[in-house]
Amino acid sequence: MRTTNIWGLLAVGLVACAGERLPPKALVDARNEFTRAKAGVTVQLDPTDVHEADLALQKAEWAWNNDPDDPTTIDLAIIAQRKAQIAEAEAAGIKAQSDADQARHDLQATTSSQLQATRGQLNQTQSQLQMTAAQAAEQAKKLVDLEAKLKDARDTIAKIAAVKDDDRGMVITLQGEVLFKTGKWDLKAGAMAKLDQIADALRGKEQPMVVFGFTDNVGTREMNMDLSQRRAQSVRDYLVGKGIPQDLITAQGKGPDEPVADNGSLEGRAQNRRVEIVVQPKKS
Amino acid sequence: MRIGAIALFSLFGIACGSSFPPPNDEWSAAKEDIGRAESGGAPQVPDAKLHLQLAAEDLAKSKQLIDNDNKRAASLIALARVEATLALSLAKQQAAQDAAQQAQSELQKAKAGQ
Repeated sequence: MRTTNIWGLLAVGLVACAGERLPPKALVDARNEFTRAKAGVTVQLDPTDVHEADLALQKAEWAWNNDPDDPTTIDLAIIAQRKAQIAEAEAAGIKAQSDADQARHDLQATTSSQLQATRGQLNQTQSQLQMTAAQAAEQAKKLVDLEAKLKDARDTIAKIAAVKDDDRGMVITLQGEVLFKTGKWDLKAGAMAKLDQIADALRGKEQPMVVFGFTDNVGTREMNMDLSQRRAQSVRDYLVGKGIPQDLITAQGKGPDEPVADNGSLEGRAQNRRVEIVVQPKKS
Repeated sequence: MRIGAIALFSLFGIACGSSFPPPNDEWSAAKEDIGRAESGGAPQVPDAKLHLQLAAEDLAKSKQLIDNDNKRAASLIALARVEATLALSLAKQQAAQDAAQQAQSELQKAKAGQ
């Protein structure tokens, strides 16, 4: 009886002693590491390695419960901790890989968008350039046409009047005797026929024109200024009546100023009595 | 006499750890794991380098124990393998994070250039 009691007390003491024994630090670290891995995103991203860590921890716990003094028990605890760390590292790697993929995808989308915008701008610039080139070609063609028409007009007019070019433009000179009776400003019938041809030649050119009237120096200056203005106005009005736009043509009397010949002779005075139609270059 | 000799030989074998065969294959596998971690960039990542060193140390210790204490040797080899695996995982993690940071930086530059 006494022997039995002694063995019983010894057994209880051993159990109590073993029960109070604290687990090794490695096992505590393994438990903490596993808890962290299981609670975070690791278990979602890398469930396989978390499961491996779980198994390793169970093995370490079993070893601790059954053979705590075996050196391999500590090894198993460290292995369990490392497996939990592996799960966490793998999960972090997966997360980083996912972030990198997303950033690359966003970069591609951004670059693509920028490329598209640049292409759009390029197309717009090309369109504008093409339009400008087309406009320039059209302008050049118009200029060529205009020059051709002017040449035609000049050739036509040259048959009925003197034509020259000076710094004012193309100058058509008609002698006063051809257009008017002495001291009058009403156009002669023959003058109208000539002016009809001139109007036909100049119509549609859309170039500004000035009709200048000139006299010789016979008579007072005031009278000659008035006569030259009226004659210039008569020619201007006639040409407007024949289709020359009135806003493009004006009249100005110069009287005896700017003679082209000597007023001392009959021929000279005849040359000075004249009307000049100046066709000015078209303003661009 | 003969029976006695056989029994003695058996007892001697058990005492020498014959129930745990020498873990030579495991040792070679651990060596390969360490090689993989090294070529995977572990020596360039401080945390990974530490675990790589632990793996090498465990493996060296296990080498000394083989044939004397095969159970402990196998345990150390298992530890070396898990240390090497962790070293490789940490190296891969660092590489992935570097790549993510690089991609993020390029994205920010592209957005800033808009």
